[in-house]
Amino acid sequence: MSKPSKVVELEQLSDLIPADATVAFGGGWFANHPMAAARQLVRAERTDIHAMALLGTIEIDMLVGAKVLSHLTFSMVTLEAFGLAQAFRRAVQSGELPITELPALSLQVGLEASAQSVPFLPVRGPIGSDLVAMHPEFFGTASSSFGDEDVMVVKAVRPTVAIVHALRADRLGNAQFDGTFGQDPELASASDIVIVTAEEIVESAEIAADAHLTKIPGFLVDHVIEAPFGAHPCSHVPRYSQDAWEILEYQKAAMAGGDDYEAYLDRLRNETEAEYRERVLGDDRGRVLGALAQAGPTLEPQS
Amino acid sequence: MSDRYDIHELMVCRIASEMTDDEDLVTILGSFTPLAYASYMLAKLTHAPDAWMVGYNSIGMPAVELSFTGAEAAAYRGAYARNSFTPNGHLVHLGTHGLLECVSAAQMDGDGAINLSVIGPYDSPKVRLPGGAGAPEVVQNYRKVVAYFSKHDARTLVKKVDFATGRRTPVSKDAREKLGLVTDGPVTIVTPLAVLAKSDDDRPFAIESLHPGVTAEEVVENTGFELEVPADIPTTTEPTDEQVKLLRETIDPLGTVRFDFLGGAERLAYLDEVLAKEWARAEALLAKG
Repeated sequence: MSKPSKVVELEQLSDLIPADATVAFGGGWFANHPMAAARQLVRAERTDIHAMALLGTIEIDMLVGAKVLSHLTFSMVTLEAFGLAQAFRRAVQSGELPITELPALSLQVGLEASAQSVPFLPVRGPIGSDLVAMHPEFFGTASSSFGDEDVMVVKAVRPTVAIVHALRADRLGNAQFDGTFGQDPELASASDIVIVTAEEIVESAEIAADAHLTKIPGFLVDHVIEAPFGAHPCSHVPRYSQDAWEILEYQKAAMAGGDDYEAYLDRLRNETEAEYRERVLGDDRGRVLGALAQAGPTLEPQS
Repeated sequence: MSDRYDIHELMVCRIASEMTDDEDLVTILGSFTPLAYASYMLAKLTHAPDAWMVGYNSIGMPAVELSFTGAEAAAYRGAYARNSFTPNGHLVHLGTHGLLECVSAAQMDGDGAINLSVIGPYDSPKVRLPGGAGAPEVVQNYRKVVAYFSKHDARTLVKKVDFATGRRTPVSKDAREKLGLVTDGPVTIVTPLAVLAKSDDDRPFAIESLHPGVTAEEVVENTGFELEVPADIPTTTEPTDEQVKLLRETIDPLGTVRFDFLGGAERLAYLDEVLAKEWARAEALLAKG
């Protein structure tokens, strides 16, 4: 007898995340963040999430702005060329949001330790960074019986939940990625509960037909949620490019702050994900983003 | 100052000269910092066509035109391989196959420390900055580190950073080996006024070259840390007409490099302008079918 399907609805997302959970969000830069999931946590009015972001951007800023987070562990939160992440900046400056700042590669190695079920792993570390002395609970030294010098090590990091956005997934949780996928597979292998949102849910036979795209095997995954344009306004290449126009609209509201920013968040709170898609991707926006993701012209060296 | 090129173009060309394809070493692009991106693309299109670049998850990506909505797709389409971040980190960063790391920080000091974390006290900052991502490990593990700044002043190049997110010192091979670091090489600073370099642990940063029309006094006056001023300081190589043409017409026709030089409201207005151009191009793509 086959197991029950892991597929659930986006509206159930908040029920899958325990109270005070540490939630690692996938993606990197403006690519592939699980934005539909972030919006759903805003709608659910959670206030107790300890988020973890390696290369975080608008998903983290939005969660901070909507007061979903009780703590943030991060390596970077930025809106890149759009400017500083405003809600994040304000919340840390005011002391409202407690943070743990860790260098990204060391954090990756900490996640890897967890994935391998070892208590710590060596890292060729960020020597001379003030972050090392600031975090003795994470950075340490270890000696071996091999006669080598002592090495810098990092403690295993185990998020309660990982949320990642995939191109395709099936009922068993097999998750496929084609373009940019950040460190999503590593987050999945390091976390207790893995939630995959996907552009589409497909039959397992379709997964098998393109097995080379499966980056997260289903045995690691607990829940699968269908979320078309689930990374929007971030990119999900090759399906759609970054929606720089929507990111700019967000950043203008965030920079204005106050009522303008609350209005932006309220609009998200008061619409379903389907309504969000209709509002933001209508008027050709969705088709434009798709065409841009397909184009990708490259430049040739000058002869 | 020349009317043939803008100062940021001179900076791009100077940084590009650090990127070579003599060895199989790798440059990782990181987040969209247009000036660094332009430098990599210029090198790739001219003197270093076989240089390895990693952008997003794409290994061996080709040169791409700088844009918000097309660069990632181009990196995806033209690359030789795709790999997840942690294995890429092992391959390139921690595996020490990294060539050139360009970093821009809010502050840098004479001890090679960069601050990407806070202005003011860490626990009650005046400005909370983005954080360094992988820069703390990367600046210690790459062959070459170039820090670039859109302004050369004593608020940016400071005596001591408010917080050391990362640090590229010591620079000597011996001192680095003692710390378990296997790569060595100088740290270079490129600004709108000059190029500074530190290649000796016992001596301060020295002025390596002055941009045309800039005096050593001007540089010393605008630098918050001690500088060595050699007797004869060369002038920074100026961009060729070919380089300027490539930058303006091929690599960055949308003018994204200017983002590194704009703050706040000005930046948002310029974003509107650039994104309107990107939208027009996207519509043209759709019309073409």
